[in-house]
Order: sequence, then C-alpha cells, then structure tokens
Amino acid sequence: MKIFTRHVSRELAAYFDGELMRPTAAKVERHIGQCALCQAEYQQVQRGMAMVEQLPSVVAPDEIWQSIDVTLNAEPREKQIWQWALAATAVLVLVGIAYWRAGLGSGAQWDVVRLDGRPVVGAKYISGTGKIAPGEWMETDSSSRAGIKIGDIGSVEVEPNTRVRVVTAKPGEHRLALARGEIRAKISAPPRLFFVDTAAGTAVDLGCEYSLDTDENGTGLLRVTKGWVSFQWKGLESLVPAGASCHIRSRIGPGIPYFDDAPEALKQALAQGGDAALSTILGESRIRDTLTLWHLLSRVNPNERERVYDRIAALTPVPAGVSREQALRLDQETLKHWKEELAWTW
Amino acid sequence: MIPGSWEMENGRKILHAPSHSLVAHLSDREINAAIIEACRQGDRDAFRALYDIYKDQVYSISLYFFHGDQAAASDVTQHVFLKLMTGIGRFRGDAEFSTWLYRLVVNACMDAARRRKPAAEISDRHLEMFAAPDSQEEAYARRQMASSVRAGVSALPPKFRIAVLLRHFEDLSYEQMAKILGCSMGTVASRLSRGHKILAERLKGLME
Repeated sequence: MKIFTRHVSRELAAYFDGELMRPTAAKVERHIGQCALCQAEYQQVQRGMAMVEQLPSVVAPDEIWQSIDVTLNAEPREKQIWQWALAATAVLVLVGIAYWRAGLGSGAQWDVVRLDGRPVVGAKYISGTGKIAPGEWMETDSSSRAGIKIGDIGSVEVEPNTRVRVVTAKPGEHRLALARGEIRAKISAPPRLFFVDTAAGTAVDLGCEYSLDTDENGTGLLRVTKGWVSFQWKGLESLVPAGASCHIRSRIGPGIPYFDDAPEALKQALAQGGDAALSTILGESRIRDTLTLWHLLSRVNPNERERVYDRIAALTPVPAGVSREQALRLDQETLKHWKEELAWTW
Repeated sequence: MIPGSWEMENGRKILHAPSHSLVAHLSDREINAAIIEACRQGDRDAFRALYDIYKDQVYSISLYFFHGDQAAASDVTQHVFLKLMTGIGRFRGDAEFSTWLYRLVVNACMDAARRRKPAAEISDRHLEMFAAPDSQEEAYARRQMASSVRAGVSALPPKFRIAVLLRHFEDLSYEQMAKILGCSMGTVASRLSRGHKILAERLKGLME
C-alpha cells in the first residue's frame, strides 16, 4: 500500500491496457481517483493513445518482395557454380599450379585509386588509377590517401602514413595486412570474406563498415560504424557491433569492446583495469553496456565473474536457457545463447 | 477482413491470412509449427506466405519509425525478411514467432537510427509524401489530424517511438514487448505511458 502513496505515472498505460495484476490495478484506480495530477496524466495517456489510432497501416511496396526474391534466387545459382567448379577440379588444379608458379597464387589484382597526394604501390607512384597484386605493398605519406577496391565486395580507404599489403585476393578470401596507419573498410558481403591482419590479431568482417588503426607495435583501435566485426587473436575474440570500439595490442589481442556513447568513467576504467576499475565499470554500465560486461565475464577471475554476472542480471532479465552456474562455468553454448539474447539491446 | 489482420476468438489470437495462402486461421504458435518448418526446408511458397502475412505491419512500423522515409522503411523490411529467411534454421520455437520477428524489426530500426544523422530525424516533407492511400478522400480535418500525429510520433525519442508503434500495429502483450525490446515489463509500461503523454502534450488541442 505504501508504494502507491507515490504517483502512478509509470503504470498508466499498463492500467489502460489491462496489463496490471488485479490488486495493482485496483490500487492504481484508487490513486487516480484521489490524485488530480495522476488523473490528468491518465487522460493525457488516453488522448495520446487515441491519437495514435489515427495512424493507418501502409501497404508494403511490391518492389520489396522483388528485391528479396532476386537475393534468394542468387543462392541456388552460386550452388550450381560450385557444383560445376567441383566437376572441373582437374582443370582447376592445373590452372592453380600454373598460377602458383607464376607467383599469382594468392589471387587477382585489385584496382586502386589515388585520393590525395602520391600513394605508392610497390615502387610505383599512383597518379590516377592503378592495380595492386597479392604480395605488393601500398604506402601513403603524411599527405597521401588512396582507395583499394576489394574485389566485388567493397572498398578500403588507406589513410595517410599507412603501410598495407594485399595478402590474398580470391573470391573466398580477401585479406590485407596492416603494418601501420589507418584503413577504413566498407564491405557488403556475407560474413568472413574480408580479413585484415595486424600485429595484434585479425579483424574479421561480419558484414560491416569500420576503421582500424595500428602502430608498428600492434597497438591500435577498431571502431565499427555499421554491422559487426570480430577481432581475433589466438582463440581470444571480441565482437564489436556498430557504434562500438575495441582497443588492440600486440601479444594481448583485442581488448574489451565498449560503446562509444558509454559513460566516460566506464571507458576510463576499462583502460585502467584492476579491482577498483571493475567496480566503476559495473556501477556505470547501462543495459547497452552488457556488450562490455558479457565480454568481461570470460576475462576476469571467478570471484569477479560473479559480480559481472549479477550486474548483467540486474540490468536485463536473464533469458531462459541461461543459468548462473553454467554462465559462471563459462559454458560456451550458454554464453553464446546469452550473447544472442543480449545483442538485441546492443 | 484485412489479410494479415488479427482477431480474438475464444481468447485466442486468430490470423486472417492472405486468400492465396494455406495458412488461414492459424494461431501464432501453429504458424511456428506449420509454416516455419516448411521455410526451414527451403519452401519458397511458405516463405512468401509468411512475408504476405507480416509485410505490411513490418513496413508500417519502419515507415513511421523513420519519419516517412520510404527508402529506409523498404531497406529495413527487406533486411528483416532476408535475415528471417537465412536465420530461420536457428529459430528454436521456444518463443512466439512474432516475438522473434519484431525483435529483428526493432533491432534493424534502432541500428539504422543510430547510424542516421540527427538532421534526418524529423522531416515533415517526408511525412507528407506517405499519406495513407485513402487520405485524399478523407475530410481535411482528418488528414490534418493524421499528418500531425505522424509528425508527433516521429518526434518521440526512438525508444518511446518504437514502443508506441509496436503497441499500435501489433496486438502484443507487455510481456512480449519486453522480450522484443530487451527490457522489463515495467520499462515497457513506463515508455508507453511517457510516449503517449508526450504525444498528447505536443498535439494539445488536436482532439478537443
């Protein structure tokens, strides 16, 4: 009864929609009857609901299904191509051997374009457009920028003071090695077709746009603006969604990802580490920051893990199929399932 | 009867499916069993039936969420159904299908909203471009009302906006909405209360 001495603004929509349990609804009703403020707010909520009723359903244009149909139809054609390719294995093997002998075993050449200054591919300056082959380096100075077309799946902008090499240029694997500097990738393709190796690990595209910078020692930052990127190093993985970033370091791999709009105190605590930092991270985290907390689960000691679990559970309901015991044991299936559920808030 | 619309019958939600579909009068859970299994096996007709049932709700929510931006709404609708088709093998069937579907919608909308520039948030010009098909035949006052409400909904913060649109276009319980939005039922109630209250305050005088 005591709780309903306060106003009931939060419950008004639920009361109108019949979503409150009978005793709670009765208390809200009594409060509205006695409180002029809540009575006025209740009328406002009802008016707002009546206004929304004016919004008609809109028929989806036919073009949407046509686009879906085209995309779905593309898949069987790909399967046919693969079947054909398998049937021609013997020929391909011979061609492959010839390619390897010619030094082109890592795929085709990609188009490059000068954006600013005088970027270099191999020993050649790029004045307009050019090509870059597997094994070749592209280098930009402080006033140069360039673009690389990544096969048919996207493009990469190479920022100033960057040194990057094409490792593989095949339909099933597009791979760069970033020695230093910064690249900005825009990839529109199924996941795991585009990779960027650094001294700290490998950025694996999961269908995305992102920037990645690193110094020669492998210290840098991954910042994702669209989709997802997985950064991997020796079995350690950080999943970074749009709007989030992740520090990388050589021999340490990917750090704990965090949303760029996370509280500053949380971000500073992540950079510092330690017991005090964990308290700050837990205290400052919002529902969305379960991205950070989920990654922390498997990287802290068992005592700290309990605190991390409790904080996630306090921020958002633990879904069916996730138990405290399994989560604290770092059961991979449990963590994966929990991540999929939490990801709706990321 | 509008294809894809819902009706309550003996306390159970009944779906009015498109006339050419084989899914007439199936409950949401029955859709899980019958249609989803067919979709899992790559049955394109089943997927088309599923699309026909939900497309207008998904498109409408996206359209009003993105301030009448038809391109953005089409992108979200296409993205949601492609994701649904490619991921349907992972749907475990332990939740209502609509919960899963609208999670995809909310995720796509919120993700896209985060990427959009603030300047694109409100555009009355866009809103004028997607008047309902029968709006020309309606009275001037009614058109004005609908137009004002669209603008008002568009101006709501994204989390309030999506909650208000989900409540309006889908007959979902607060429990389902909580699962879809990844928050508690109390938060759903709060967002709906505040969202509708803000709307009424901004459009004060419209319905008096």
